[in-house]
Amino acid sequence: MSSAGVDAILFRELPSPATMTSQDVAERSFARQQERLLGIAVASEVRMGPRRTPRRSLIVVLPDNHVLSPDLVSNCFPPEGDSELVDVILACAGQPLGIAPLQRRVRDLQVLLAPAGTSTEDLRELAMSQAPGDIVTLLSGIPV
Amino acid sequence: MPLSLPISVIVSTCNSGGTLREVLAAVRASDLPPTSYEIIVVDDASADGSVAIAARYADTVMRLSGRGSGPAYARNRGVELARGDFVAFVEGDVVVRPNTLSRMLATLNERPDVDAVSASRDDTSGASNFISQYWNLLLRFGEQRHAGCAQFASGCGVVRRTAFLAAGMYDEWRFATACLEGVDLGERLLGAGKGVLLSSGLRVTHLKRWNLGSVCQEVWRRSRLLARSLGYIRMSAAAPSEVVFTLSRTLVPAVALLGTLLLAAAFVPSPHTGARVAVALLALILTNFPAYRFYARTRGFGFAVVSAPVHILVQIVAAIALCNGWILRDMLGDVSPDAATQAYSEVGLEIWPPVPRRL
Repeated sequence: MSSAGVDAILFRELPSPATMTSQDVAERSFARQQERLLGIAVASEVRMGPRRTPRRSLIVVLPDNHVLSPDLVSNCFPPEGDSELVDVILACAGQPLGIAPLQRRVRDLQVLLAPAGTSTEDLRELAMSQAPGDIVTLLSGIPV
Repeated sequence: MPLSLPISVIVSTCNSGGTLREVLAAVRASDLPPTSYEIIVVDDASADGSVAIAARYADTVMRLSGRGSGPAYARNRGVELARGDFVAFVEGDVVVRPNTLSRMLATLNERPDVDAVSASRDDTSGASNFISQYWNLLLRFGEQRHAGCAQFASGCGVVRRTAFLAAGMYDEWRFATACLEGVDLGERLLGAGKGVLLSSGLRVTHLKRWNLGSVCQEVWRRSRLLARSLGYIRMSAAAPSEVVFTLSRTLVPAVALLGTLLLAAAFVPSPHTGARVAVALLALILTNFPAYRFYARTRGFGFAVVSAPVHILVQIVAAIALCNGWILRDMLGDVSPDAATQAYSEVGLEIWPPVPRRL
């Protein structure tokens, strides 16, 4: 049970093999080697070291009967290629609708599935607990 | 999403989990149009789940790590993210009324000569214990006596973003704790030729719970910083409603009156000890009479009687702290952060969260 009082499933959208570029393959291969050689703890410690700039996260909340607006996707999300600079989390109550444009744009999209009927506030709190960013922007979908 | 908004509401919090929900709900319940403002919560390294509460209401949450750098630092980071032409500062324990922010905005729109407007506190305190009530009324007394003065209160204030940036933002170098940063900002805004207004018609409720120890600590910090860093005489003109002046203004006449009465009593043959004590008390009561009358009028005669010894104790703390501040100013100079912060600042280290900036 999360602090927001709802059970949720978190999964990360990764590019399918067909859409992976040679750079993706090389990065994954390097990450696997790093984890094997140094261990996950050390690798994560390196990631947690001092940073020059804040880490940014973007949370999009889709309660029941809400969808992503096209404007929101085009204005608020980083352009393709820059998506690695922002961690994007989509928190949905029930099965999300119309998120394909977002999945295309954000390579490492994390989707947080909460039971249908979960309130907007609970979804926000739940997503916040998963967001690693120093600066977290929270957005909501639009009613259907 | 619009690139700019009329107003950005910046709520700085540090372990304000007990009050933050009410504070943010009050901002959300404002009569401002929903698309005309954004809420930015800057969490100054809280350890009490403030971030989770903030996520329920805010548009943006900034998490600062480390050991807490103070509200001046936190608010400055919030302004760096803000998209509003006006910036509103709301403390993590201050509840606004539905029309507070819209009235502040209207004041700034109607009066081009005013660049910053802040709200006074109301007579009620969020905490019901005696000391919280006493402290809230003491601050309210100062604000009421100097209603409409050119002073900025950080509890709830709105400032034009351009004026705020031109004044150099909050002084995060000297004010590492919640103490007088608003007074200092107001004074710098005035120095830059900007208009500052502490409105007596705009009221907010402070929810923080105080006890005798925390009140004495607050008075000690404020008085010492005022004497050491800001300058007592200069600030007494710039921020007359500051609580340190409310407490210390009566000290000189009290000592003078006490001396006169004791001198007079010396001519009375063998004055009784009780008479001497009565004379001393009379001197203190006479000089603090306006404050006691205010307590009696707002909370009743019994409250005024009980608050009298507390008031004297707090005055003594203020007097000692002022002396301490003056001595430290002569011996060590102005307040500065710890050596590590100074060293990082010296070498211009780029790191997140950033090193506090010197004005």
